[in-house]
Amino acid sequence: MGNQFDINFMVTIALKAAIRYVPITLELALIPFVIGTILGTIIALVRLYNIKYISKILQVIVVIIKGVPVVLQLLIVYFAVLQCFDSVAKTLHLSIRAKNINSVYIGLVALSFFATAYISEAIRGALTAVKKGQYEAGYSVGLTKVQTLRQIILPQAIPVAMPMLCSNLIGLIKGSSLVFMISVTDLLNGALITANSNYKFLEAYVAAAIVYWILCIVIEKISYVLERKFYSFNGR
Amino acid sequence: MAQYFDGKLVFEYLPELLSRIHITLLLVFTATVFGMIFGSVLALIRIHKILILNQLVAIYISFVRGTPIIVQMFIVYYGFPAILMNLGIDINRWDKLIFVIITYGLNTSAFMSEIIRSAITSVSIGQSEASYSVGLTKIQTFYRIIGPQALKTALPSISTTIVGLLQDSAIAFSLGIVDVMGEVQVLGARTYHTIEGYVAAGIIFFVLGAIVEKVSGCIEKNTLFSKL
Repeated sequence: MGNQFDINFMVTIALKAAIRYVPITLELALIPFVIGTILGTIIALVRLYNIKYISKILQVIVVIIKGVPVVLQLLIVYFAVLQCFDSVAKTLHLSIRAKNINSVYIGLVALSFFATAYISEAIRGALTAVKKGQYEAGYSVGLTKVQTLRQIILPQAIPVAMPMLCSNLIGLIKGSSLVFMISVTDLLNGALITANSNYKFLEAYVAAAIVYWILCIVIEKISYVLERKFYSFNGR
Repeated sequence: MAQYFDGKLVFEYLPELLSRIHITLLLVFTATVFGMIFGSVLALIRIHKILILNQLVAIYISFVRGTPIIVQMFIVYYGFPAILMNLGIDINRWDKLIFVIITYGLNTSAFMSEIIRSAITSVSIGQSEASYSVGLTKIQTFYRIIGPQALKTALPSISTTIVGLLQDSAIAFSLGIVDVMGEVQVLGARTYHTIEGYVAAGIIFFVLGAIVEKVSGCIEKNTLFSKL
């Protein structure tokens, strides 16, 4: 068969192609991460303060999103946009059509749902990890709800949430590889394109794996440094 | 094309998708069992800090945790036959399901080994010292004192891993496995109604995940463990 592992091809072509598309993968991971952190914090606070009805509705949504695989969410959003967008655009008299939408945006939307659900759980866990007495102590010295949250609770909750946020970001980077199913050219697809002509798929996949691995190790290291910083800030 | 989403179709699809559920369950079950066994071996290597092997296992775990499972799946699918071909074994004709099971098993074993390791090291050293002092052997200490306590702390994480494995198994269709997700593709190609199929598959995965969580919750509350 002569299908020896072609290291030369892997390093010079596949690895280079994979690295060229790292920005797309980072974009697909970081933007949902930021959106997820903002929305997730809001959801966590709503659930923490047990706001009527909204809290229950959000809980159901989070449970549903957490219970459905991210591939399915991605494909459902993709096909929903593909099928329904045109008629919606027509009624709104927009000139844009579904086929003109870059699939990257669809991936971003789907991954944002996924990120929001998981990050809201991480932040809620961190907020509930702070003892109830801390809230009461804050109120007893005359701080308002917002002040208590900002000055007392959050500085204690953030170091607890950090490792979980880091693992969520790594999960997002790994999850972003699924966008190849909706034909977005990200890190994985970029590496695979180079193998299309000569069927050296193993080399392409190994190259992609190496880049993903390095990305995740870098994030882990950054989160480790940040964690140390937050802990020393807290004087622990 | 007036109808974009037909709610009735979701329920028509459900029985057809359920007819392929055994593939998904087989995948999850075998990967869990394999992951538990191989993961325990990896955990033991890391706990006893066996030279060289310890570092290799650490690299292996870091690799599995740092790369998407889809990439791992294709590396196993293309790589295993290539390696074994050099050893003179031809496995190109093997069922694709076997490669998928190998991937998910290897993947789960890395996560399981970390859970098992942290559970065992979380039992305080005084426990084993106490049991040595009353004359138990090393093996007796593990089975009677350390093991049960470690299992109790590990159970919630193990159930989370199994649910994660279940959700990851939704990707296996990209290798051409006709499990629940693969059946959606088949139905979608036949009827052009894909999105209803995905919704139905979502319901199935959701219910399966809920069942796993319920069962593990029941085991956690089981008198055997709650006494500890």
